[in-house]
Amino acid sequence: MEKISEDVLLRAISHCFKCKLCAIADFHGMGEEWLAICPSGSYYGFNSFYSPGRFEVLREVLNGEIDCGTEMLVKVAFACQLCGACYERCKEVSKVELDNAELFEELRSILAERGWLLDAHVRIREDVERTGNAYGEDERVEYPSSGDEVIYFVGCTARYREREISDAMVRVLDASGARYTVLGDEWCCGSPLLRTGQRDAASRLIEHNAGEISKIGAEKMVFTCPGCLKTFKESYPDLGVELLHASEYINDLVSEGRLQPGKLEITLPYHDPCHLGRHLGIYDAPRETLELIGVRVMELSRNRGNAWCCGSGGGVKSGFPEFATWTADERVKEIRATGSDVVASACPFCKRNLKDSGVRVFDLAELVSQALLRSDRG
Amino acid sequence: MTILEELERIVGRENVSGDPAITAAYSRDQHWTFVPPKNPAFVVRPGTKEEIRDVLMLANREKTPVIPWSTGINIRGMTIPTQDGSIMLDVSRLNRIVELNPEMMTATIQPGVTFGMLVEASKKHGLRPAFPDAPLTVSAVTNNYLRGIYQTSPRDGLDHILSFEIILPNGETLQTGSRLLKRDLPYFRYGPGPEIASLFIGGPGTWGVVTELTLKLYRIFEHQKIYYVGFDDLEKPIDLIDRVNREELVSSCRFVDTIHWLPPYLGTFDYEYETLPEFVVAMVVENQDRIFQAQDQIVQSYIAKSGGKILDLPQDLADNLKCEMLGAETSPMIFGFKGNFYCVGYYGPLNLLPKYYQDFKENALKIGFDAKDISFYANTIARFHGQSTYYELEIYFDSSDRKSVEMLRTLHARTVTNLLETGIYGWFRPYAGVIEPTLERIGNFTEYWKKLQNLIDPNGIMNPGKVF
Ligand SMILES: Cc1cc2nc3c(=O)[nH]c(=O)nc-3n(C[C@H](O)[C@H](O)[C@H](O)COP(=O)(O)OP(=O)(O)OC[C@H]3O[C@@H](n4cnc5c(N)ncnc54)[C@H](O)[C@@H]3O)c2cc1C
Ligand code: SF4
Ligand code: SF4
Repeated sequence: MEKISEDVLLRAISHCFKCKLCAIADFHGMGEEWLAICPSGSYYGFNSFYSPGRFEVLREVLNGEIDCGTEMLVKVAFACQLCGACYERCKEVSKVELDNAELFEELRSILAERGWLLDAHVRIREDVERTGNAYGEDERVEYPSSGDEVIYFVGCTARYREREISDAMVRVLDASGARYTVLGDEWCCGSPLLRTGQRDAASRLIEHNAGEISKIGAEKMVFTCPGCLKTFKESYPDLGVELLHASEYINDLVSEGRLQPGKLEITLPYHDPCHLGRHLGIYDAPRETLELIGVRVMELSRNRGNAWCCGSGGGVKSGFPEFATWTADERVKEIRATGSDVVASACPFCKRNLKDSGVRVFDLAELVSQALLRSDRG
Repeated sequence: MTILEELERIVGRENVSGDPAITAAYSRDQHWTFVPPKNPAFVVRPGTKEEIRDVLMLANREKTPVIPWSTGINIRGMTIPTQDGSIMLDVSRLNRIVELNPEMMTATIQPGVTFGMLVEASKKHGLRPAFPDAPLTVSAVTNNYLRGIYQTSPRDGLDHILSFEIILPNGETLQTGSRLLKRDLPYFRYGPGPEIASLFIGGPGTWGVVTELTLKLYRIFEHQKIYYVGFDDLEKPIDLIDRVNREELVSSCRFVDTIHWLPPYLGTFDYEYETLPEFVVAMVVENQDRIFQAQDQIVQSYIAKSGGKILDLPQDLADNLKCEMLGAETSPMIFGFKGNFYCVGYYGPLNLLPKYYQDFKENALKIGFDAKDISFYANTIARFHGQSTYYELEIYFDSSDRKSVEMLRTLHARTVTNLLETGIYGWFRPYAGVIEPTLERIGNFTEYWKKLQNLIDPNGIMNPGKVF
């Protein structure tokens, strides 16, 4: 969360040579197919919405040439899912030190310091400050607890919007006999604030959650939300706890014989969540989980590092709903091209946004929970 | 009405902006150490030819500079404004492959069509465009119109244009070649009479806006072999390169320094490049079955006599060059060494290679550059009369380091003067930094050029300051 110095930022920007390879998927790796990977540039079209253009906007903000928080400036800075597809390609070709999404977060944080923010994002901060969750829900949702071996960090979306995911995860934990707990006073992990440049407000949340976690003394924490996991891995102090995505944890439970799911014997496309795949490098674990429960994965044409974002990340769902929907629609076309109306994924945000565009989305935890029923039935 | 309001009327509000958050993204490219950043006043994104025409007519009436922009990847400051109030005419929305004709072996495309798109479409018919060493995201119209250097230049040459359509600053449309007589027969360069296309070709947006262009496609051969031949000096490979080009045995031939150019050819930074000879000749032999066998045997015998050593590289890495011929994704890796890349690009005879490079290296070392940041690239060109070769003399540097930028400016001035004195055929495209010192040597040519330009663009609105 530390600020990157202006010199470092300007140096990184100078090293972008404007090749725009960050706008398309790995061409030869995908059989010489021209596939767009930057939702922001593809939707808005102006160069400012592609990585190389947005860098120049950041440069002019840093050197003071841009000194007015126009609506367009806020749009350029915030209408980007921070999906990281650009950096995934850039690092292959340029070997320079840019991490595009990190630089865009810097731009957002500079704008936020000057009060150039979207109302929708300010509201999220206010909601979090008032209720401890990003949806401003007053009522608390309670979860069972069976011990302190592992903490299940639920996150705001699986708790208040996509409840099936957390319910399913709890069933999986129960079935495994793991001694688990959910924080009694779990606050938002801070991700929505960090992604929208509101870093100061996120610090309070981090401090609170870190304190709650230390009290328990668990060895492991498991997450169904890759956004929370990323935030813990990158922005929290070292809590001496092993941080795992649900897929990794479930795979361990199965290999230790603590979980014996049956086989669903179905074929599904799998959507790689940006936070899980590109940001944390976790591509194989969810595929292994699916294989363990008899789900054959049908790869989408843009998968793994080349995956097209679900559309909701980086504050886009709240800030630019039409753009979020368009992005999801594009992904849904790709899902439907496989002949399926159903997709597996591993992130509550992806579930929510893809579902809104008309496909059925099952999170890994839900599929594992269904597979457990299959094994119960023998 | 203000210019902004007029532009909005032509292309719709959502396709034009004068907000610095939009214009900033068109203000600078990687040549910024030579071409200072400048925002255009407006960026306009027309979606049809009619809208392009109307924008040009408006600009002409208002005497406002217009800069055509197709993909903006030219790395030479060619789309960076030189005057206040400029309109950036971003034509990337015109991105249709109008026709891909396997029978004629041609593609007719709009300026927003990238090489990647064109490769994808033509590959289905066993065809490919001539491909530059540039990222596959560049506009195939602009690159061909500006006449590029292609991976297959020794076989296919530099000029692949058959005909095109251009909208002039007064809003009139001009067709070249056979499309002048019949629009749906755009397949021949030399239409009804005197040829006008060559006058326009190479102009960096200074004559008008090309809206459609028909270019040659080439067949993809099944039989293909790649050779990397290592050498420790600059003289020995000349004979090998001369022979394989004179006898038209290779479709691709590049002579480069190992450390900088082999990584993009092999597609990885992770190899012990320092253990290899200092220079390498990379060649591709390709043809139909038996012709290929015969060609390959001759090439092998020439390599054996050349004093060079065929490099023993892992096959999967060596084969990456084939990918580059169908769309370069790894050639931009050269920027990875220091972050930025300087090169002076020009044409000259092959036999001057050692002198060009040695002079350059000597100067660069004297000025204080590190030997490991100095590099070169030579690419022979069909037909080989006059030993025509494209050259780059290169420095890898960090543009955020002021000292190296100053050193680079000094080196650049010396290099251009030296090259003009040693003798070159011409510069690779007109661009800032090489044109200025050339003017005094070309006599009344500039004057005549300006007269011609004035006929077409009397108000001087088309990308001013980019040629003479
Ligand atoms: C790493 C790297 C390596 C490269 N290597 C090569 C190489 O080996 N061979 C090679 O040929 N090139 C090479 N290039 C250069 C690059 O490919 C071309 O210069 C490029 O095609 C031109 O840029 P563009 O297509 O993006 O056009 P733009 O940048 O959009 O425009 C370039 C010029 O053309 C004008 N223009 C744009 N559109 C139109 C139009 N519709 N009508 C009229 N004028 C127009 C512009 O005003 C400008 O002056 C390389 C580039 C990079 C980044
Ligand atoms: S791939 Fe990297 S260097 Fe190329 S334009 Fe994108 S950000 Fe810049
Ligand atoms: S982070 Fe994603 S949406 Fe944003 S510029 Fe990069 S590829 Fe585009």
